[in-house]
Amino acid sequence: MTAGLLVLGFIAGLLLGAETLSPAEAAALLGTPEAPLAELILAWRLPRVLAAGCVGALLALGGAVFQGVFRNPLAEPYLLGSAGGAAVGATVALLVALPVPGAVALPLLAFAGAWGASWLVLLLARLAGPASIAALLLAGVAVAAVLGAVRSFLMLALSDETVSLQAVLSWSFGGVQTPSWGQLGLLAALTAAALGLCHALARGLDLLGLGEAMAEGFGLPVRRFIAGAVLVGAGLVAVSVVWGGLVGFVGLMAPHLARWRCGPLHARLMSRAAAIGAGLAMLADGAARSLLPPAEIPLGLVTALIGGPFFLLILAREARRG
Amino acid sequence: MMALEAVGMTVEAGGRALLLDVSLRLQAGRVLGIIGPNGAGKSTLVKACAGLLAPTAGSVTLLGRPLANWPARERAARIGYLPQHFLPHWDYSVRELLRLGVERGGTRTVPTTVAAAALAFELQPFLDRRWSNLSGGERGRALAASVLAPAPAVVLADEPAAALDMGQAAALMMRLNAQAAAGAAVAIVVHDLNLAARWCDRLLILAGGQCVTEGPASEVLCSPALDDVFGVRLERLIARDGTIVLVPCSTVDVETDGEEG
Repeated sequence: MTAGLLVLGFIAGLLLGAETLSPAEAAALLGTPEAPLAELILAWRLPRVLAAGCVGALLALGGAVFQGVFRNPLAEPYLLGSAGGAAVGATVALLVALPVPGAVALPLLAFAGAWGASWLVLLLARLAGPASIAALLLAGVAVAAVLGAVRSFLMLALSDETVSLQAVLSWSFGGVQTPSWGQLGLLAALTAAALGLCHALARGLDLLGLGEAMAEGFGLPVRRFIAGAVLVGAGLVAVSVVWGGLVGFVGLMAPHLARWRCGPLHARLMSRAAAIGAGLAMLADGAARSLLPPAEIPLGLVTALIGGPFFLLILAREARRG
Repeated sequence: MMALEAVGMTVEAGGRALLLDVSLRLQAGRVLGIIGPNGAGKSTLVKACAGLLAPTAGSVTLLGRPLANWPARERAARIGYLPQHFLPHWDYSVRELLRLGVERGGTRTVPTTVAAAALAFELQPFLDRRWSNLSGGERGRALAASVLAPAPAVVLADEPAAALDMGQAAALMMRLNAQAAAGAAVAIVVHDLNLAARWCDRLLILAGGQCVTEGPASEVLCSPALDDVFGVRLERLIARDGTIVLVPCSTVDVETDGEEG
């Protein structure tokens, strides 16, 4: 199923768009690579589909790390405010004239925002007792709401009707832009590095799932590990937010689907979650491009439409389990 | 050399001493029972010995080396800590749980050790069963198997029998005794004094965070300090094999009872 979803997402992403192709048309185009439409797909759609896949994989890995750290299947970068924190950081980078170039400030501030917001939620949830779903979600909702308000305020206060406000606004709804091949190469390298880092965290996340006392007893330095894992998670969220804006629920759904398939051990979970996240994001991005042609729906809207009900389903299951 | 030696352990939390100047020596091949009323600091003592709690004062030495000087993974391989409450956050299968327990020892032969542990704890039929589908007894066995699989030199069990029925509790005490017979130093927090009487070599009474007495099980069980810390007069009977059996007297008998034991 995992590989199937990945392939399906990739093919659908290439076919769907303002001009949706049938598989037969696409096959015909393969024979005539010099046709304008073929060039359009190769130069414009292919990098975008691949970028969406990378963003989806990063969101899924971020979700898997946060779910492991919070030991909660409902933890998700978007719901926990980590993505919101990254968005505030990115908004500052986009709207405030900083002494450093935007290409440096944007990822750095997004990372700082994601990291700060993650810790804030972690500490707030800890106050209410370990592994309480309600406390975690409420803390996440509150932090996300505050960060959303801060972002809106910044946009209103700092905008001077230049293009940057438009950019921030469209990006805050979530969406992947077509990258250059160089940019895409960077994103792919970051995604590969993220996968490696997440694999390195796998054993610790498994042990953490036994509870903090048992994890410590089984040789995991719990506090140091959590600090490291939050750092990695915030990095993943920052990269995904910089490239894809605020895209919710992929980080929730992908690890979940992967866990249904392969059980809770994180070494097996990570690459599957990444593949499922990539497939989901490519599918959703294809849908975003093709549902209202020639206009584009924000990607975050599509994922929220699918992911919201999915979230409620898991919430109901968790509530029943107690 | 003692397998584990704790000297002058004091643990404070919120300005209150949970543990005050308690010392403890665990010898290879022996089983120490830690008994005492609720809130005596038994769990705190075990956690401090396992290195899960930093003491305010005092020190723990594991196999002749200060506990803090052991690398986390090497320490984990040498101490088997059985917690009082255990509920995994993910729905691990028995096999996965055993793997996590075995791997902490850094063993290269993980599947073999997992299989051996499953055999020893009669878990083969449940290996691929998930935690949510296990009964209470099966859960207890799976947890004990995971903790004890790498044959740790020191076993620290915090009321492992609390959630088990009488047969399961007896079976677990026998397994812990078998670990000791195989060379481990074992300490068990025991609530049921009769389990302690039958399966512990020595007993330590803890009350109000302090050690009241420590000695061979038969002596400690006959000590009047036991009645005092639990606030109830105990009648001592002798089972056919010589083990002491403790029965609380009804309050009516407290004044008249005196010659028994």
